[in-house]
Amino acid sequence: MAEMWIHMGPQHPMTHGLWNLRIKVNGETITDAVPELGYLHRSVEKIGERRKYFMNTTLTDRLCYASAMTWTHCYCLTAEELMGVVAPPRAQYIRTVVLELQRIASHLMWLGAYLPDLGLITGFLYGMRDREMFLNLLEIPSGGRLLYNYVKIGGVKRDLPPGFEAKAERVMQTLERRLKEYENLYDNSKIFRMRNDGVGIYSASDAINWGITGPNLRSAGVPFDLRQADSYDAYPELDFEPATNTAAGGGSDCFSRYRQRVDEMHQSMNLIRQALAKMPGGKVMADSVPLRASGEAFRRTEDSRGEALMYLIGDGSDRPYRWKIRSPMFTTVSAAPHFLKGYKVADVPAIMGSLDMCIGETDK
Amino acid sequence: MTSLYDWSYWFCEAWLVPLMTPLLYFQEHIMPPFSNPAGDLARWMESAAGLNVLAWTIVVNVALMIGFTNVIIVVYLERKIAGRIMDRRGPMLSLSSLKEIASDLAGYAPEYNWKTTTYAGIGILQNVADGIKFFCKELIVPDKADRLLYTIGPVIFISSSILLLVMVPFSPRIAASSAPLGLLVVMAAFSIAPIGVLTTGWACNNKYTLIGGMRSAAQLMAYEIPLLLSMAGVFLVAGSYNPMDIVAQQQGMWNVVPQFLGFIVFIVCMLAEVERVPFDLPEAEAELVEGWTTEIGGLRLGLVFAAEYIRGFVGAMIATILFLGGWSGPFLPGEIWFLLKVYAILVFFIILRWTVPRIRTDQILLLGWKRLLPLSLINLALAILYVEVF
Repeated sequence: MAEMWIHMGPQHPMTHGLWNLRIKVNGETITDAVPELGYLHRSVEKIGERRKYFMNTTLTDRLCYASAMTWTHCYCLTAEELMGVVAPPRAQYIRTVVLELQRIASHLMWLGAYLPDLGLITGFLYGMRDREMFLNLLEIPSGGRLLYNYVKIGGVKRDLPPGFEAKAERVMQTLERRLKEYENLYDNSKIFRMRNDGVGIYSASDAINWGITGPNLRSAGVPFDLRQADSYDAYPELDFEPATNTAAGGGSDCFSRYRQRVDEMHQSMNLIRQALAKMPGGKVMADSVPLRASGEAFRRTEDSRGEALMYLIGDGSDRPYRWKIRSPMFTTVSAAPHFLKGYKVADVPAIMGSLDMCIGETDK
Repeated sequence: MTSLYDWSYWFCEAWLVPLMTPLLYFQEHIMPPFSNPAGDLARWMESAAGLNVLAWTIVVNVALMIGFTNVIIVVYLERKIAGRIMDRRGPMLSLSSLKEIASDLAGYAPEYNWKTTTYAGIGILQNVADGIKFFCKELIVPDKADRLLYTIGPVIFISSSILLLVMVPFSPRIAASSAPLGLLVVMAAFSIAPIGVLTTGWACNNKYTLIGGMRSAAQLMAYEIPLLLSMAGVFLVAGSYNPMDIVAQQQGMWNVVPQFLGFIVFIVCMLAEVERVPFDLPEAEAELVEGWTTEIGGLRLGLVFAAEYIRGFVGAMIATILFLGGWSGPFLPGEIWFLLKVYAILVFFIILRWTVPRIRTDQILLLGWKRLLPLSLINLALAILYVEVF
């Protein structure tokens, strides 16, 4: 068969969000791939320059529909550094708890979105069912289920209510039980392994060169986690090691990326337990947060998808002079053609799905 | 009266034709040159060919009714079982919920009472709703599609699937026809459908449908040979292609016990033949949107869906006849036993569909040629040994 270009997107079951992947196929084998982004560009950075510092948390919530809390947190950390504000210790611990809850919810959303890519729709409902429990948990302090607006510059909006620990513990025990079930359903399934093992391989050095970060990098065996490497909030006081995975022959394949996210869910539950146990008392908001700021600040945090970086310049007014967001998925998707070539058409959803695409933050 | 065909042939010969032909002959003499076709029709109906066609028309219609009744039941089972597997309830629409829907449509605010809500029912009406929806949709032909092939493709798929129904018996008492070559003809009819899939895939002028059609043809190469070889073992032991003889041979012990390998190979190949998960590559919705049915809509799509379920149903029937002793069983009538076994296999198909992912094109070729073909050959060798020794 002659070679032909196929558009996978912007409306296609494979694309979780609005983007377009053009692939060139020879029969069923992919010979070339071009990702096209920009369908969902909302110009968040430019809009943010016209709004006051504290108003921008509504925009950062909308950067990623699956992981709103982490992006708002990244923005608040940067703004705090710009203004010279430090959140009280209790607020830092609460932030750690909600960030990890959000990370689990995001990874469960990924798990739910990944299995229909392989042809198993049941996995979608399982993932969403479990995510629901964590959305309920996040609803308790913040009042929101998708967009929280909970982390504020200088602390968090509200304190955790009494009884939160018990509820979180019950939910986490349920999730641990269900993750064991999923290991039987997915890891021990021959067909699941056939679709995942050795698909979409890239090596650790390639991943570093291409700028891939987060779970996608750690799944290649690189123990690089910004929660430790450039630590923030309560993470320095918690005891954990970055979880890593590698494919059978080294590097990262779809299965190691799947295992990586499941391992990170276990790790996040461990972190939540530690943070809830060590939770100090006190206020949850800094005494005074200035409205105006000058200078420049730059912080990076470990988002659910990789390294989220924000850069703010203040000119002394109450609005940022310049705001730049570095999205982890933008670089990862740009590198995708390298590890799509040579695989089959059916592998495209598996490979792109295993990267955990989120177009909201990619297109900004 | 050995089969439905014989019965309807007799019905046409004894009742239908003698009652209708006088009317037609009467018409022939009303206005001679213009009403002559009525007389020709009457003479054709009295001939052997005409009787044959009339008898087959009745048979196919009855088979279609039986097939569609079972499709409704299988679709309902599929939805409910999928719902239970996914930790939800499945369709709940029932007759009693129509009242509330009507009040909703009339503009009254629905009364949300968690305990006594009448929306909850067994959900069989969902199929009716789907059917109405399929009927009401417009039949659209895509702009640059090949109109003729686009129309013919689904017809090949649907008609070859319905043809299957008239060739597989439910029991010695209920059988549409008795073809001399029996199940071999059924398998030949089974293999017609990929032609329809390929035709539609090509005619739609869409890259997804094209790849879907090509996958259907590639898949055919993988499963067809092991499928027939696994059946060959049963044919050898029974010494016949006729379903009656095959079931009669299994009176003592079902074939699934001595020919377990053949049973496994047959079930896997039959899953590929009827294009269900994990082998539904021609309509893989993750990468090919809806595969070869992407451009089909309306009643065409509805009938294609129904035909797929009919194929699954017939596949389970053949598996029952070949390996599970057909209609033999104690106490209950044979037809009940037959349907019980068929539905057991169908429930297995459904559970499998909602618990495993889909495999790739190269993997199904690998599976077919490197695993299933040797296994079916081993099964055939064992069957030959069995026949020769005993």
